[in-house]
Amino acid sequence: MNGGIWRMRLIGAVFVMLSAAIVYQMIRIQNSEHSRQLVEMFAKTYNQQVRIIIPERGNIYDRWGNLLAGNKEVYEVGIAPPQVVNPETVARDLAAVLEVDYYDTLRKAESYRKEGNERYELIKDFVPADKIRQLEQKVSEYQQAEKPKKGAPPSLVGVYWRPHLIRSYPENELAANVLGFYNYLDRWNGRGMLGLEEQYNNLLAGNKQQVILPMNPTEIQEIPEIPPGASLITSIDRDIQAAMERIIDEAVEANGAESGTLVVMDPKTGEILAMATTPHFNPNEYWRYGEIFPVGSYFNRAISQLYEPGSVFKVLTMAAAIDAGAVQPDTPFVDVGAIEVGGIWIYNWDRGAWGPQDMVGCMQHSLNVCLAWVAQELGPTQFYKYLQDFGIGRYTGIDLAGEQVYPLSLPGDSNWYPVNLGTNSFGQGVATTPIQMITAIAAMANDGKMMAPHVVKAYIQDGVQYTVNPRVIRQVVKPETARTITEMLAVSLENEASNALVEGYRIAGKTGTAEIPGPGGYTNMTNASFVGWGPVDDPRFIVYVWLEKPTSSPWGSVVAAPVFSQAVEELVVLMKIPPDEIRQQMASP
Amino acid sequence: MNQRIIQAYRQAPWRVQLQWIGLFLLVLVGGMLIAGVYLYVSGQAAETGARIKNLELEREGLAIRIADMRTQLALLNSSQVMLERAEKLGFRPVERDDLVFLPVAGVSSREVVFLAPPPASIQRENKLLRPAYTQSLWDVLYQSVYQLVSSRGGQHQ
Repeated sequence: MNGGIWRMRLIGAVFVMLSAAIVYQMIRIQNSEHSRQLVEMFAKTYNQQVRIIIPERGNIYDRWGNLLAGNKEVYEVGIAPPQVVNPETVARDLAAVLEVDYYDTLRKAESYRKEGNERYELIKDFVPADKIRQLEQKVSEYQQAEKPKKGAPPSLVGVYWRPHLIRSYPENELAANVLGFYNYLDRWNGRGMLGLEEQYNNLLAGNKQQVILPMNPTEIQEIPEIPPGASLITSIDRDIQAAMERIIDEAVEANGAESGTLVVMDPKTGEILAMATTPHFNPNEYWRYGEIFPVGSYFNRAISQLYEPGSVFKVLTMAAAIDAGAVQPDTPFVDVGAIEVGGIWIYNWDRGAWGPQDMVGCMQHSLNVCLAWVAQELGPTQFYKYLQDFGIGRYTGIDLAGEQVYPLSLPGDSNWYPVNLGTNSFGQGVATTPIQMITAIAAMANDGKMMAPHVVKAYIQDGVQYTVNPRVIRQVVKPETARTITEMLAVSLENEASNALVEGYRIAGKTGTAEIPGPGGYTNMTNASFVGWGPVDDPRFIVYVWLEKPTSSPWGSVVAAPVFSQAVEELVVLMKIPPDEIRQQMASP
Repeated sequence: MNQRIIQAYRQAPWRVQLQWIGLFLLVLVGGMLIAGVYLYVSGQAAETGARIKNLELEREGLAIRIADMRTQLALLNSSQVMLERAEKLGFRPVERDDLVFLPVAGVSSREVVFLAPPPASIQRENKLLRPAYTQSLWDVLYQSVYQLVSSRGGQHQ
């Protein structure tokens, strides 16, 4: 009996000790450092998911809401090796559909079985949606197929695809020089390059956000709604842009020019309606940038390429002189074919003497000698003050990345000589970009008010559309001066029966031919330009044409003026501008 | 005598046992009821949470699909495609001489597109998840009591 009690006590003691040991071990494990680290690791690995949410990049529209830059759905395809049922099927189907290497895919699909690899393996990114539809079709076929008696059934279990967006330009090359591009192949660090994409990169991109989401479904946490990047509504008119690109392409081809630029602006607001430059570029294939734009070439010549504009510059010289009261339209000038400025002789474009002229004649025949005399009458102080007011040598501030400027040499500068006053008066010895020229000359079509050129008309942020108001840079000349210049240039075009004229519409404009400097002085090659605006009584557009190094003829009046005329022929249709006669009838009660 | 009285009022041992068993069962059933409610609520919450996650993923996918569709539509309506379609249908680009302008009273020029409302007309949206999905029972209880007290307070005033 005593032995039985002893045994019972012993068993009891053993159980008590075991229980105590279990409790001790539980307490020890709960409180050990290793345990704490383990719990943290589990929490980090399995309880929470860290996600970086990249907002949808904002769209870019033309002024009527046509999409110029949007986003396209593509997929990232990968394998979770531990979940793969049939590595051969996975490798075969992915190789066939995605055009990836079979053996590499098979190695990844078998990596769990052979090496215990549990990591997600990326197979291919940027896969188009139609390829994914093919994979979905295969998944569906395998689900319906009968299971084989031996071996693993064909299956794509373990293959995952996840959609994401890439930049897409549905109009392809249209307005590419304005839009710029987005290097979407760099998925996590992509950024806008050149044009609007670079200028407004931060606005378009929105704000990336990192969120930590609990994996436990009972811990509901709202994924913060990350607004897409802001969208831009540009002032570009898609149809006008398309027409201008076609016209400038044909002009470059027909005249054997090296390049062409055609800018259309609304002079009353500074809105760019079209900006066509060559060569063209498809931003959907941005990696070909280097082929199309070798080192030293320009993505958007309208804002980046500096050149001596030539006689179109005379518009500014004459406007300054009339505004300052140095000359009047009927001021007489006897052209003897040469004038000495700063000890250097300046000649006319044809080396001829044009005899008695007034200022309209000087502009009509584009007489360098006359304009050099006008600049002398105005004096260097006034002349350069006006040029600075016109924005020469200064950034226009257009909202496109890549604008270039060449500083204007002023009296007193080491690189300014007295002859500069003469040469600058007819647009030689001074470098500008087409956007500088059109911005300055547009003041003539807007009662002397120079408007800031801009491409973005409105933007949409957080579901609200904000309008960008036109900005006046300054009143550069008096309204009557602007109207006088417009009238003078309209008359001069009519007098010479210019190639720029458009039947039914009164147009003001000026040709420009500038010799291109080379290493040993000026060469035979030219820059041919034309700037014109209309209708004269109520200007709705200003057009700047520039053909670089035309081979058919060096003269702006021969190669650039017809391009202007052709552009206006299409503009009046696209902008629905009735001929002057009808418009005036409609305006009168 | 004293001893006898105690014995007279003492309950039979089987009755005491029965009371203890009853009490134990009451606690057990009560505990099981609470556990059952807790399990049901947890299950519901987990199911809802999983559904919300799926919906969020679906929403994300739909946002991507919408962006893609918008671009596809733009592709179909692109300048070049429209020109080709128009030419196939026998149209040609209009020229200046083809146009006839007629004054029509009340017709103004084409307005610039508005793809979103202007700033003044915006009302902020509510949050996607209602508070009921994230509040604990205590929060609900506390809020209800607070609202009740506040509303009564309001009535007094």
